Amino acid sequence: MELVLDAVRKTFGGVVAVDDVSAVMPQDQITALIGPNGAGKTTLFNAITGFDPPDRGSITFGGRRIDSLPPWRVAEMGLIRTFQTPVGFTTLTVRESMLAAATPHFVETPLGALGLTRRGRGHERVAEGRADEITAELGLADLLDVRTDELSAGDRKLLEFARSLMAEPKMLLLDEPAAAVAPANIGRLSQLVRRLCDERGLGSLIIDHNLSFLMQIADEVHVLDRGGLLASGPPAEIAADPEVMRVYLGTDGAGGDGP
Amino acid sequence: MTNPIFWVGVLTLALIYASLAMALNVESGWGGMWDLGIAGLLASGSYCYVILTAGPDLDMRFAPGLSMWVAWPLAALFTGLVAFAIGAPALRLRREYFLITTLAFAEIIRQLVVIQADFTRGTVGIPNINRPFDSFVSGREYNYVLLAIAAAAAAVMYLVTRQIGVSPFGRTLRAARDNEAVALALGKRVNRMRIQTFVLAGVLIGATAPVYLFYIRAISPQLFAPGITFTVWTALVIGGIGSIRGGLAGAFVLIVFTEAVGLIEVDPAHINILVAIEPFLVGLLLVLVLRFRPDGLFSERTAFGAGGRSNSRARDPRPAEPAATSGG
Repeated sequence: MELVLDAVRKTFGGVVAVDDVSAVMPQDQITALIGPNGAGKTTLFNAITGFDPPDRGSITFGGRRIDSLPPWRVAEMGLIRTFQTPVGFTTLTVRESMLAAATPHFVETPLGALGLTRRGRGHERVAEGRADEITAELGLADLLDVRTDELSAGDRKLLEFARSLMAEPKMLLLDEPAAAVAPANIGRLSQLVRRLCDERGLGSLIIDHNLSFLMQIADEVHVLDRGGLLASGPPAEIAADPEVMRVYLGTDGAGGDGP
Repeated sequence: MTNPIFWVGVLTLALIYASLAMALNVESGWGGMWDLGIAGLLASGSYCYVILTAGPDLDMRFAPGLSMWVAWPLAALFTGLVAFAIGAPALRLRREYFLITTLAFAEIIRQLVVIQADFTRGTVGIPNINRPFDSFVSGREYNYVLLAIAAAAAAVMYLVTRQIGVSPFGRTLRAARDNEAVALALGKRVNRMRIQTFVLAGVLIGATAPVYLFYIRAISPQLFAPGITFTVWTALVIGGIGSIRGGLAGAFVLIVFTEAVGLIEVDPAHINILVAIEPFLVGLLLVLVLRFRPDGLFSERTAFGAGGRSNSRARDPRPAEPAATSGG
């Protein structure tokens, strides 16, 4: 199964934010999407996940067109995204946020709330077990009963990722998952992302500016610049590409924190 | 100065407002839908009940004369239908726009009642509404029966709304209120859940309507002016919007306070001043509550998961994070 973009284009007024991007992203591998600010990375995420449908081109996941579906339908197909700014469910605790993400829609009805249907009984207990597991793995276990708006920015970022795992994803779309996360936790995060991919075939499409984090875990890297795809290839190849380094770092491949 | 029957009446009214405030809390507190159309929904339930139970003596075009025990649930269901008809277009709007639209729908309903006089007797209204157990208990003693009915209704409302609040449904409702984009990104059918909630609140308000009628005894369109909506809102805000017990507590404080103001003895020549000053005092009460308890008497914070605990890890004496990184 794969996520396929075919000539995807998105404009805002006269500005072309994403310009005829075509790419194939296998569902069971880790794909990195890099590029300078304003390159169109988040716009592409919004187009894929139905928040801001493309003007032209097609997006398919597992062979099915998803570019005209509402966000919740895209999510139900297993494409679960996170957000760059980790606001989350401000008044819910970490545990509540995790459980809310895991609850299937047929449980979330007024009749279900009043105990008038039996569907989904016992689901809550299973989900609690998974929430304990995932939060423990990400170092959030002692924050389970803390409200989201009382978490540090880094912990909120980790919750953003942890929550997406509760929603039974087939592929993750992570928008800057490592930003604001403490360096020690970035290691935990990248290990988990890699392990989920290797052991369970849960791949990711990741936007981040932390190149050392991305180059470590990515199987393939796509470089976006001014809305267009500049280069695609394995991390080592991309890291050696002088054009990419020029665009990305604004230098001629010398200086900065280049590899 | 006063007799117990007076306070029985005050308590009955407080319990009716408490029921309405608890129903409002489901849609506005947890659902984040600021509904200013309570009066319209209450009017729908009330007129549905009155028309269905009306006998031929009232000379109304449609008077099936149903038993009140049949008409009561039908009034609740009908109000749910009205809520659906209002919610389907209005829920495409957000916040202030939704609020104004619901207020407008409530006024439309009131005008429809006035215009459709063949069915509703318009501004003439209908007096002497039949009340349950009226024939067994007479006169002043009936006030105690009414208090019991209102208390039972409020108790059922409390149990139902609490169950909604603590359920996975209520949790996701609060989640979508906090952050709609994240809820959508997790596959939540936010729009469907909101319309379900709006209709549910309509059913609950419609189910309360007959109790209100038993208390008022006569119905006319003036009863359903926007004022009643604002009273319910004031009760909920005083009690604590988003909490489980807030509507109950707020309605008691507000109604007892309002009725007590009415008891102040003044020279008959100055009675109009007292009447004018009453809303001022209610406003002052609201301001004071919000000044000293911004979340209301009960807080949503203590009602769910966190149970009032705060983040001990965030309060560690480790270096504070620069403000820029806590963005968003």
